[in-house]
Amino acid sequence: MATGFFTDTTLCIGCKACEVACKQWNELPSDGFTFTGNSYDNTSELSGTTWRHVAFVEQMSVDQQGGLHDRWLMSSDVCKHCTNAGCLEACPTGAIIRNEFDSVFIQPDVCNGCGYCVVSCPFGVVDLIEKFDPDGTHYNLASLAESRLDAKQTAVQQSGGVAGKCTLCYDRQKVGFEPACAKACPTESIQFGDIDELRERARVRVETLADRGVEAQLYGADDVGGGIGSLNAFFLLTDRPETYNLPAQPVLPSTRQPAGYAAAAAAAVGLAIAGWMIFRNA
Amino acid sequence: MPNLPPNPDDAFLGAVSRNGHHETPAAPTYYDRPMLKAPHWEWNVVTYLFLGGIMGGLGLIQLLAHPERDDERRLKRTARITSFILAAGNPAILITHLGRPERFLNMLRIVKVKSPMSLGVWGLVLYSGAAGANVVRELAVDGVLPRWMRFLAPGFMAPAQALLGAFTAGYTGVLLSATANPFWGSGKRHIPAASVCSGLASASALASLLSTLEGNHQAVHKLERLEMVAGAAELLVLADFKRASGTYGKPFFEGKRGERMRTYTMLAGTIAPMALNLLGQMVKLPKPVDAVRTTVASVLTLVGGYVLRDSLIEAGKDSARDPHAAFRQPR
Ligand code: SF4
Ligand code: SF4
Repeated sequence: MATGFFTDTTLCIGCKACEVACKQWNELPSDGFTFTGNSYDNTSELSGTTWRHVAFVEQMSVDQQGGLHDRWLMSSDVCKHCTNAGCLEACPTGAIIRNEFDSVFIQPDVCNGCGYCVVSCPFGVVDLIEKFDPDGTHYNLASLAESRLDAKQTAVQQSGGVAGKCTLCYDRQKVGFEPACAKACPTESIQFGDIDELRERARVRVETLADRGVEAQLYGADDVGGGIGSLNAFFLLTDRPETYNLPAQPVLPSTRQPAGYAAAAAAAVGLAIAGWMIFRNA
Repeated sequence: MPNLPPNPDDAFLGAVSRNGHHETPAAPTYYDRPMLKAPHWEWNVVTYLFLGGIMGGLGLIQLLAHPERDDERRLKRTARITSFILAAGNPAILITHLGRPERFLNMLRIVKVKSPMSLGVWGLVLYSGAAGANVVRELAVDGVLPRWMRFLAPGFMAPAQALLGAFTAGYTGVLLSATANPFWGSGKRHIPAASVCSGLASASALASLLSTLEGNHQAVHKLERLEMVAGAAELLVLADFKRASGTYGKPFFEGKRGERMRTYTMLAGTIAPMALNLLGQMVKLPKPVDAVRTTVASVLTLVGGYVLRDSLIEAGKDSARDPHAAFRQPR
């Protein structure tokens, strides 16, 4: 069964329970504390050790009549579990697989830390958990319980780094639990379930909101274009995707391969002919 | 800066159109934070790509050199041995990036046509095989190894190494250009083409350098012509890349990095060696002077090739951090 997330941003209250639940369940370490000054967002971005990230956007404007419009947008971002996933296509070790729940899953014991998935995700989701951590901001081993330290040290620090991102709580799904973030979300902004059912529910929600005078759109429920297809983690947004740091027109990297190989072949053939002439005439 | 909502009268929700057009003006960003992740690649990956290009070029050179002319016979041998050493050493460079040697083997558990990194590693492995076979042949012909061993490398191994070499050099470009990185993506044709040209120019330079040391001046003469052609092609590709990449190309062509790339890759790394090589073609210099000329030209070309790869990767990092570029992906 294909499962996924429907993140309805109109219901998000910015409590970050999803971030905390994800970190706890997946034993992800702290990323250190930085005070960004960007509304309530001190998490800043998804990373190898941050798999849910709540974005905060405070909007204020005055219209021509002098009326004040203000909104506070909050949205919990996550790996999109793309139909055609750039990370999965790029991974040279086969560490990234599509599992029985149709989620994109990284097998940490197969990953060799090459970092190619990092530059191949059109949404900037997956990142390396670095091996060296001079200032303790990336992977703070000291913050882990003693009992887990050995395992994590072997897996991560001595390994030369591995890629990390949301697993859609593969382990929880296997035993019939819902992902930690969805479980913890107090407002059902994060809904987990069968992907077709979620899409249906999302469409109804857009209409309900329209009836109430709220303009909303779905992001990723249908094909997002660029060869990526639909997203198993899709969103309901009330502003342009870029406002939430989501690309409006993402592109699947592998669509750039044919042009690249063709150009390389053309250059190689041209130079080979030139070389043949140089050496034959000599 | 927080984003201001558009005028409520605007049809701002039409922004996600599937036909590739924005109806609304410049996209907002999220506190100007990056949308994409920057590559974690440092000198080791730069070196891996640089050497991959040289290996590829040497693959062509060992095929071009004709076994019946004495100078080319020696060149063939040099090119084969050098290419094999590079092919055998390059995984070690990659391993310094991966952390542990056995991690390299993880890439050999699968062949993935959609992954340039996977195909490239297989290209490298097969190339090592072909180059190794050709080295065995050289050594058997020379009598270092038993003579019968030359049959271990049948004749088709020479074109095979050249083909695999072309692939190896080309993939070092596709590896970058077929990613989500806006700058790299804007060079989806130019980066692979430039990688092939730069690879062959660097390979010719390295082979000239080694041939000079061997005193094989006739071969140097031919190699330098090849180097000039490859260098000229590289310049043309880079010039067209600048035009085609537009604002995506800024991190590569402008600022300090652009300055460095122009100085070391285009000027000192291509134009200067071309001039030196041209001089060598036209004027018969005394042998020691000529050796210095070749050495200088070769070293400049090699440095230029390295700086090209380094600039590509570093510019990719900047590009990934620019949300404006990321939101407006090149097609
Ligand atoms: S969002 Fe990125 S990391 Fe997640 S499946 Fe898609 S390509 Fe992979
Ligand atoms: S870092 Fe790991 S998961 Fe990512 S592409 Fe490399 S091997 Fe695959």
